[in-house]
Amino acid sequence: MSAIVIEDVTKTFRQHVAVDNLSLQVPRGSIYGFIGPNGSGKTTTLRMIMRILYPDRGVIRVLDEPTDGDPNNRSILDRVAYLPEERGLYKTMKVRDVLRFYAELKGFRRSGPEIAAWLERMDLSAWADKRVEALSKGMAQKVQFIATVIAQPELILLDEPFSGLDPVNTDTLRDSILELRRNGATIVFSTHDMSVAEKLCDFIFMIYKGRKVLDGTLESIQDAYGSDTIRVYLDGTATLDDLPGVAKVTDLGRFQELRLAPQADTQAILASLMQRGRLRHFEINRPTLHDIFVRIARPDAGSEEKSHA
Amino acid sequence: MRKMFVVAVREYLAAVRTKAFLVTLIIMPVLMSGSILVQWLLRDSHDTKTKKFVVVDRTPSGRLYPSIEKVVQAYNEKTIDPATNKPILPRFDLEPVPASANTPEAIAEQRFELSERVRNGDLFGFLDIGAEVLQPGQGETSKQERVVRYQSNRPTSLEFPRLIEGPLLFAIQDLRMDESHLKVPRETIHAIMRPVSVDTLGLTSRNPVTGAIEDATLVDRIAPVAVPVGFMILMFMIIMMTATPLMQGVVEEKMQRIAEVLLGSVRPFDLMLGKLLGMTAVSLTITAVYLGCAYGAARQYGFAAYIPPDLLAWFVVYQALALLMYGSLFIAIGAACTDMKETQNLLWPVMLLAMLPMFLMGSVLQEPNSTVAVSLSFFPFATPMLMILRQSVPPGVPAWQPFLGVALAVLTTLFCVWAAGRIFRVGLLMQGKGAKIGEMMRWVFHG
Repeated sequence: MSAIVIEDVTKTFRQHVAVDNLSLQVPRGSIYGFIGPNGSGKTTTLRMIMRILYPDRGVIRVLDEPTDGDPNNRSILDRVAYLPEERGLYKTMKVRDVLRFYAELKGFRRSGPEIAAWLERMDLSAWADKRVEALSKGMAQKVQFIATVIAQPELILLDEPFSGLDPVNTDTLRDSILELRRNGATIVFSTHDMSVAEKLCDFIFMIYKGRKVLDGTLESIQDAYGSDTIRVYLDGTATLDDLPGVAKVTDLGRFQELRLAPQADTQAILASLMQRGRLRHFEINRPTLHDIFVRIARPDAGSEEKSHA
Repeated sequence: MRKMFVVAVREYLAAVRTKAFLVTLIIMPVLMSGSILVQWLLRDSHDTKTKKFVVVDRTPSGRLYPSIEKVVQAYNEKTIDPATNKPILPRFDLEPVPASANTPEAIAEQRFELSERVRNGDLFGFLDIGAEVLQPGQGETSKQERVVRYQSNRPTSLEFPRLIEGPLLFAIQDLRMDESHLKVPRETIHAIMRPVSVDTLGLTSRNPVTGAIEDATLVDRIAPVAVPVGFMILMFMIIMMTATPLMQGVVEEKMQRIAEVLLGSVRPFDLMLGKLLGMTAVSLTITAVYLGCAYGAARQYGFAAYIPPDLLAWFVVYQALALLMYGSLFIAIGAACTDMKETQNLLWPVMLLAMLPMFLMGSVLQEPNSTVAVSLSFFPFATPMLMILRQSVPPGVPAWQPFLGVALAVLTTLFCVWAAGRIFRVGLLMQGKGAKIGEMMRWVFHG
């Protein structure tokens, strides 16, 4: 039971390979996070799943459609919803009419009660008969989200759904996503916010330069990178760059994050830290998703990427 | 198919439900026929300031001046509206000026003095009647001498010379008759000289019921030209009114990134066709409004005979075809561009195609069944406008011609829609730089 099956898919634009021999399985009912630097192929992958673009090689199947099915068959897409990263709504249309239009485009008729319920949930009921151009950016983004999910899709693809939302709206949106999942929908979303991905996703998939570099649960990914991070809080302004056994120091402001050199001894580091100043906090951690992302995506981290992969 | 209609309905409502649509509906005919309408509205509001003219009558003892004075007096009585007692036309004040000595130098000197008075604004113009005018065989033939002359620095205001020209001619003729001492009474000569006009009529026909031969009716001078020209301009106007917003809509959807959302639900071709059908419906709505009004007005004023109903039906067919054809071209351009400015570069060849019938209008009207007119009306991009033009000029065209024209236009329309669909599919997701014509061709043939 897979919501999406991607098999050996390659997509090239002119000379540029956007997606390179990618395979991926998204189980039904899961929340799958797509991460990766800008221009690494996330949007191209999502567009190929939506059949807005077609792969040069490989197969993409959604919602268990038959393998011998017509690749141009788009009726299955009525059960798939897509929120593009750069979103737009018809400015001069009323909110309710826009939503009805998008519902009908997915073949969903008699959408009135559904629209009313969603507007209520998103605190937009008062705006139902206002034109889209009268909405604030955050409200328009919520309307766009409703437009995406209004037709009760089974698979929902969201490209950067949280970007530009304030904390309240972020919570509202997250709750809605969780509720959709509870009702049986599969959700795939791309994000640059690693903490959201860590908290929300059952599975995380990272694409870099068109290739899959991470795929699995957060735990399995972190396990692969081991417990090589120490978070410390040291009084004073001592520099720790020259500390023996430490490969890299990241200053987080209040805390400093030390990445251990291979085979370094945490006890020895603790001892030398205590000599540098008054130690308030010492915590051995697994690397955060943010950290892993940066290790992969930052060019100077290339050598370490090999040692961990 | 259903989704195509969902798109079409949205496009239609989005276009028709706006205030801008109503305003355009009213404004467009005003703009197109603006100058005519303004003149018609202002026809009664002439400048009513009194205009002063000098008359120099060089005939012996000034025998022509009284007849001019009589005409001007009669005219001046009509310048006051009897109901409101307000001036509706400018009064003409005449000032007889004695003729100078009959030497070329003196005459030239007097004309210069009067011209100076016109320049100073004291006079509007002056009329100079040479003495030779009374000698038959002179005056009219020797044009170079300018025997009767009206001099003014306002060559476009000709009310005064036009007013007196005819009566002056009769007065001169009467005086010449007196001079030549003819034995024939003046009345007889007037009867002989009475002008005859050539009246233009239609054809005489036999009433199929009574069998009686019915005389032809007088042909209106304006209606046989106004109806074809009106049809063509209306069609051109409606194409521009609907195809341009269609293109703007596509560019907007691209710029606002609505296109990507739509493509997640609708096939590009269905999306384009939906838009096209929606806009064709808009154009037919406009057609219905304008034609309805025009036909109603024509019936009211007795011109309905010049707009037969089958012509109206043809117009609707051509209108729909023209919009599908040009609409798909406009859509393709919209999809290939990233903002409205860019569309201008790609638009001019299409505009030229659309304008072609307008350039040919005069010659086709003159000779609607000439080889050139017939063959050009089979050029699919010109067929809708030229064929309706030719059909509405009596006696019309052979019955097979509109059908062949429509058949060719339908084929071209299908090709345009197909090609536009290919361009639309590629262009809609393309951001950044607009495409060149060559690139668009490649999209059409290689996808």
